[in-house]
Amino acid sequence: MAKTRFSLKTLKNKAEKQLLQAKDLKDLDAIFKKYLGDESELAGVLRSLKNLSKAKKTKLGKEANELKNFLKIKFSEAASALKEKVQKELEAKEWIDITAPGKKTVLGHLHPLTIVSRKVEEILGGMGFSVIEGPEMETEWYNFDALNIPKDHPARDLWDTFYLKNGLLLRTHTSPVQIRYMEKNQPPFRIIAPGKVFRHEATDSSHEANFYQIEGLMIGKDVSVANFKAIIQEFFQKFFGKSAEIRLRPSYFPFVEPGFEVDMKRGDGWLEMAGAGMVHPNVLKNAGLIPSLKGGGWQGLAFGVGLDRLAMMKYKIDDIRLFYSGDLRFLNQF
Amino acid sequence: MVFSYNWLQSFFTRKLPKPDKLAELLTLHSFEVSEIKKVKSDYVLDIDVLPNRAGDCFSHIGVAREIAAVADLIFRGQTSHKFARGLTSTDFVSVEVKNSAACPRYTARVITDVKVGPSPKWLEDRLEACGLNSINNIVDVANYVMLEIGQPLHAFDLEKLEGKKIIVRSAKEGEKITTLDNQVFNLNPKILVIADAAKPIAIAGIKGGKGPEIDEKTKTVVLEAANFNPAIIRKGSRELGLKTDASLRFEHGVDPNFTEFAINKAASLIQKVAQGNAAKDSVDFYTRKVYPQKIKLDLKYAESLLGVKIPEREIRSIFNRLGFKVIGARHPLTVQVPTFRLDVSIPEDLVEEIGRIYGYDKIPSVFPMASLVPPQKNDSVFWQNQIRDILKEAGFTEVYNYSFQKEENPVEVNNPTSQEFKYLRQNLITNLLKNIEKNKKNFSQISIFEIGKVFREKTEKIMVSGIAAGQDFYQLKGVADLLFEKLGIAGVWYDDFQATPEDSPRSSWKTKRSAEIKVSNIEVGFLGELKGEQKIVAFNLDFEKLKELAQEDQAYKPISKYPAAIRDLAVLVPTFTKVEEVLNVIETAGGVLAVDVDLFDIYEGEGAGDGKKNLAFHIVYQAQDRTLTSIEVYQIHQNIIKTLEENPTWQVRK
Repeated sequence: MAKTRFSLKTLKNKAEKQLLQAKDLKDLDAIFKKYLGDESELAGVLRSLKNLSKAKKTKLGKEANELKNFLKIKFSEAASALKEKVQKELEAKEWIDITAPGKKTVLGHLHPLTIVSRKVEEILGGMGFSVIEGPEMETEWYNFDALNIPKDHPARDLWDTFYLKNGLLLRTHTSPVQIRYMEKNQPPFRIIAPGKVFRHEATDSSHEANFYQIEGLMIGKDVSVANFKAIIQEFFQKFFGKSAEIRLRPSYFPFVEPGFEVDMKRGDGWLEMAGAGMVHPNVLKNAGLIPSLKGGGWQGLAFGVGLDRLAMMKYKIDDIRLFYSGDLRFLNQF
Repeated sequence: MVFSYNWLQSFFTRKLPKPDKLAELLTLHSFEVSEIKKVKSDYVLDIDVLPNRAGDCFSHIGVAREIAAVADLIFRGQTSHKFARGLTSTDFVSVEVKNSAACPRYTARVITDVKVGPSPKWLEDRLEACGLNSINNIVDVANYVMLEIGQPLHAFDLEKLEGKKIIVRSAKEGEKITTLDNQVFNLNPKILVIADAAKPIAIAGIKGGKGPEIDEKTKTVVLEAANFNPAIIRKGSRELGLKTDASLRFEHGVDPNFTEFAINKAASLIQKVAQGNAAKDSVDFYTRKVYPQKIKLDLKYAESLLGVKIPEREIRSIFNRLGFKVIGARHPLTVQVPTFRLDVSIPEDLVEEIGRIYGYDKIPSVFPMASLVPPQKNDSVFWQNQIRDILKEAGFTEVYNYSFQKEENPVEVNNPTSQEFKYLRQNLITNLLKNIEKNKKNFSQISIFEIGKVFREKTEKIMVSGIAAGQDFYQLKGVADLLFEKLGIAGVWYDDFQATPEDSPRSSWKTKRSAEIKVSNIEVGFLGELKGEQKIVAFNLDFEKLKELAQEDQAYKPISKYPAAIRDLAVLVPTFTKVEEVLNVIETAGGVLAVDVDLFDIYEGEGAGDGKKNLAFHIVYQAQDRTLTSIEVYQIHQNIIKTLEENPTWQVRK
């Protein structure tokens, strides 16, 4: 009896001691088997209870079961402590250098002129302008005569032109699109014609043989300079931000009367951003519309903006030739 | 064109605004002033006179008149000139104009007993400020008057004029002239000349000739102030490649009424600086006199066009300041336009005068009243943008190339600026290849595309081309498939490449590694490997066709609630058997329950046997309405195997 009680106490001490020495779950498992397994001393004690007297059975049984529960708790504590330790060791091995650079995702890029063109179309589309396209090879009629730029007139010198052996020319502006549209559609309307245009000039950082333009046309009964100011101001403020400041300055384009240039403030000076004006009555007539001389006819506003110029200002690009260079070091930035 | 501030000041009693202030006023109301420079005690303003205002503003008096209007200053008119009685120009020289359309006016004035010598300092200074060198007092006066009034003048030595005659005529074939700067020009009948009885002595309106030029011995001067047809001077100047201060003015047009005004001023000045005696009159050929035009202006129209109501009082003041006359008080207004305003002929021109002098800055910004019509959708623009986005998502970068190329093509440029610009491109690939070449040193993988016009004879169309270095045929085919799928184009198949691909440089495709892309029976483009040392794959698609085939509508396909069964299948086939053929057999034999057949491996080489390749497929079996039993799946799978093996050269691996 005393022996058994003593052995239970010894068992408890031994078990506690060994638990502290367990290095891993495998050790723990062996210890568990040794003290709580079917073959353990404690299991033997519990099994032998049935041979004892009722009083002894009650007493020893209680003590043995208490020890069993105690050891179970101890084992479970030791197990979680070890698991945590193992987890920590594993995590330590999982370490990666989070400061090393990320792998580059291969992305495609849209051309900056596409991005700018979309922005422009979105702003003007919001004001009801529809996008219209037209041919890049044009006739003299659509590119010049219909636009009130007669042959042998010095005004033609304003547009240095590529002529083709097939009798056509490369359009110098997208204005021919407007004539073609006016011929086929009854006002009122608002259209924009974006596209590639060509100038016969030597290329340098601010001149290109081909570049992009967007021209707007609004025809109605009462369209005015005041309307133009509102539209173009809204346009530049949407494009460059609320602080964009513009002014109109008199200018001359044969297809408008009055005609003006739109300047935008840059630092201390002003930068030419667009040509514009009220559609010349000859242009309306050439496109088959009756101009509003005495009321009843049509009048309208027209404007043209260089997309390259817009993109150059937006992205601070200093050389127009980059747009047509196909250089991925440039294009991948957009 | 440069203008002297002091010279401009001489037209006013009151002081002009300071040069920078004056420049600002001119920029906002008339012409942009691009530069102000201090030259000695003067300022020189570089003014970009608008081309339609050359007629009156390629002169100090014209710009001074603008200043009077924009700065609201009183413009001082010209003083009258005094000439000796007795001398009559016709006693010395005769003038004959053969073609009055080419030369509407010719005014000549004789000045006797001149002393040719250096000009006084004030005259030299003014010419110098405007960038002209002093030559002698006679020539300097002619130039001075041109700069002041805008009427080019020329001076001849009367003694050296053959027959004392001036004839304005077309040059004769074979005639030559040596100009004052010793250049020799061959003339022809398209060129108008001033001649004496024997030979041309000046190219009309362009440049004087050697012979009757003024020199230090000249005693009697004949001054010419003429008016020429702008188109004739322009053509002549182009043909001879000779641009001068005179031709610049004449080709823009000059008021014929200037000649008299200018010649009086010049004769008077010569009397002053070269002590000559000017004849009291001029020989004047002027058959069709030009009178001021009257234009009716409806002020309501002006208001409607400008979008602001400007008081009539102010409108009248603007016209007066510009030298226009408003006649009477009736409406619409009758406005008389001075003859030197060659740019004003219609009411809209008058509206411009009102608008700019009133000030565009004072016109309010008012949004138009327009019906709320949303913009029309443009299919071409829409699909181009879709394609751009899809290709970008597929890792392609968009380039914009020149529409030109140096390689020979059907559309040739008449006046190329360089060899690179000799032809218009007939395809996009030629320039895309150059892009690859250029980027090669910086990038190992290059995937680029362009959407743009190509040209052929008199037609043009939009193409979509992509090109890739560092990818193979199948990768690019995957991109093409993705593009068609995203565009909603079904029924795309790849046919054997036939020679003469219309839209590509024929020789550039490797025919055994290229395909024609078809939708039903429509050929929409090409895909394949290009010839050359480097492995480059490309596709070339006809946008106009894609646009027609593209479908925006997309319907959702229900996802089956029942599980799918996947079985693999490997077939050994001859090397040149097309995957497409095998796929077709599997799909047909599999029927609707074989919902997906996916080639996951092609193996050639050891184990497959010579001239053979092994194709491995995943086949997905699934029904929309039930779970397929393993017996059902087995039966279909067996049916596929049986059908495949009907081909004696195909062998299903079991």
